[in-house]
Amino acid sequence: SPSPVVRGYCVCAVAVTCDLARRFVQYERIGADVTMKCGAMDWDAAVTWTVNGSDIDESHLNGSYLVLRNVHLGHSGQYSCYEGSSWHLKYQTFLKVGTPPKEPVLMCRSNNYPKRFYCSWHLPSPTYVPNTFNISVIHGTREMVCEKEAVPKNRCHIRYLQLFSTVKYKVTLTVTNALGRNSTTITFDEFAIVKPDPPENVVAKPVPYSPRRLEVRWNNPSSWPDPESFPLKFFLRYRPLILDQWQHVELSDGTSHTITDAYAGKEYIIQVAAKDNDIGTWSDWSVAVHATPWTEEPKYLTTEAQAPETTTSSTSSFVPPPTTKICDQEKVVGSGAVAVAVSWAAGLVLAAAGVLFI
Amino acid sequence: MDFRAGDSWGIFAFLCAALWNLPAVPALNSTDEAGAGQSIQKTYDLTRYLEHQLRTLAGTYLNYLGPPFNEPDFNPPRMTRAEMVPSATVDFELWRSLNDNARLAANYRAYTHLLCYLRGMDGQVAKADLRKSLGHFCSSLQGLVVSIAGVMSSLGYPLPGSLGSTDPAWAHGLGPVSPHNDFLKKMDDFWLLKELQTWLWRSAKDFNRLKKKVPPAAVTLSLEAQGF
Repeated sequence: SPSPVVRGYCVCAVAVTCDLARRFVQYERIGADVTMKCGAMDWDAAVTWTVNGSDIDESHLNGSYLVLRNVHLGHSGQYSCYEGSSWHLKYQTFLKVGTPPKEPVLMCRSNNYPKRFYCSWHLPSPTYVPNTFNISVIHGTREMVCEKEAVPKNRCHIRYLQLFSTVKYKVTLTVTNALGRNSTTITFDEFAIVKPDPPENVVAKPVPYSPRRLEVRWNNPSSWPDPESFPLKFFLRYRPLILDQWQHVELSDGTSHTITDAYAGKEYIIQVAAKDNDIGTWSDWSVAVHATPWTEEPKYLTTEAQAPETTTSSTSSFVPPPTTKICDQEKVVGSGAVAVAVSWAAGLVLAAAGVLFI
Repeated sequence: MDFRAGDSWGIFAFLCAALWNLPAVPALNSTDEAGAGQSIQKTYDLTRYLEHQLRTLAGTYLNYLGPPFNEPDFNPPRMTRAEMVPSATVDFELWRSLNDNARLAANYRAYTHLLCYLRGMDGQVAKADLRKSLGHFCSSLQGLVVSIAGVMSSLGYPLPGSLGSTDPAWAHGLGPVSPHNDFLKKMDDFWLLKELQTWLWRSAKDFNRLKKKVPPAAVTLSLEAQGF
């Protein structure tokens, strides 16, 4: 029948602070040599060791001691020692093999300036044992409290008490586990860490009867608390799916823009980024949206000699329609013909520009 | 670096006095809210321009001062001497609740002080091209001071303070460092540039707030002025 010792282990298994558990959980470094004694038993006593219920071969024993050499992660498990004949449980421990922490990675950022900024961290590689994190934030002579967030766990935030500070913030993160500790420190100016979230609800639509236009609208990121006093400016980039080169537009006002030089009939991919007008860095790009400019429905395919614009070969997709077709089109689609001619010319220019950029 | 108590000192003390007694820009037509709005926009643009100018100037100047001043992580404690330089740092709630007059006045006072100190710095720089850049910057900064004064006048606010308790301490001769305290002098320069940069960032935000709020305020003020 299971002894009280076993029950004690089940309750306190992994808690590092529980004193009882200190006898029941053992942390060792990868590569170390571990010797386990069978409780109070003499060295020459007859014992049997098991790991996770399976017997351990006698070759690992030195008398009644269990010797594990050069331990690795696979050695982690519950080790038990039983007296030879009576099969009484004399000792039990949970071995966890791991590593001391490497230097953590720490970053701080404000996506809701001037309300707060947050710091988040992670370990570059796992330790396989429980870690505790301690963060300190010093601003000049003042130590500030970084309020931990429930989710995600490795993040905390600080309210700005003062604005427009010339004194840098100094943040130190210390990681500790049973096998060691490590820390890292970063210092930064108030303005340097301001980076909004990307714009939201980006929508791109064709403009009826305008084959070269796309209307793009978006919203300020909802996390930005005061766009009135801290206005954002935006960066819009767009390209047809079939090309790699982006076109860029910087916009200092408003949350919409009309692209007027889209290639007729081509599907576009569009993204927007945001930045405080005066300080900090650009946000990540928004979710990409796709849109194709308005095109006239081809009504006269059977009577006109024109073939639809080819998009099958990606490298030579700007095959200009033969001149006779442009003349034909003029009868049918007024501005469309111009658009096709312009797009062809623009295609040449783009190709030339593309060559220059290679 | 010797601080000459003679000619350059006299000149900048005179300049400081002159700046404090700037003739009031004639008030625009009090119903000219568009004018006030435009002045605010112009002032905002000036702060952005100055901020860009300062980035280059500060980089060059800090290199001229040499290490550790030109190191990116240099983060010295603020010394009491530096407290003579008006700080842009302000409590968050207080900054938000500033009325237009107080907001403008704070900017006006700050730049007038900063301009004075900058001119003092200008006189001692050994390198001619750096002196020239500093001189250009001072002119631009003076333009900003005048622009702010213009906004205040067009909104009917009095220009803050004259020579008195608020004037720069250096004008009273408390400023000069003994020639042997070269490091302290460099430290002063470092903090001056830092504070100036921060003020320019702050002003951009101040003028953003003013931009949104002014047109209705200008109308209210003009009505008040006419006794309505």
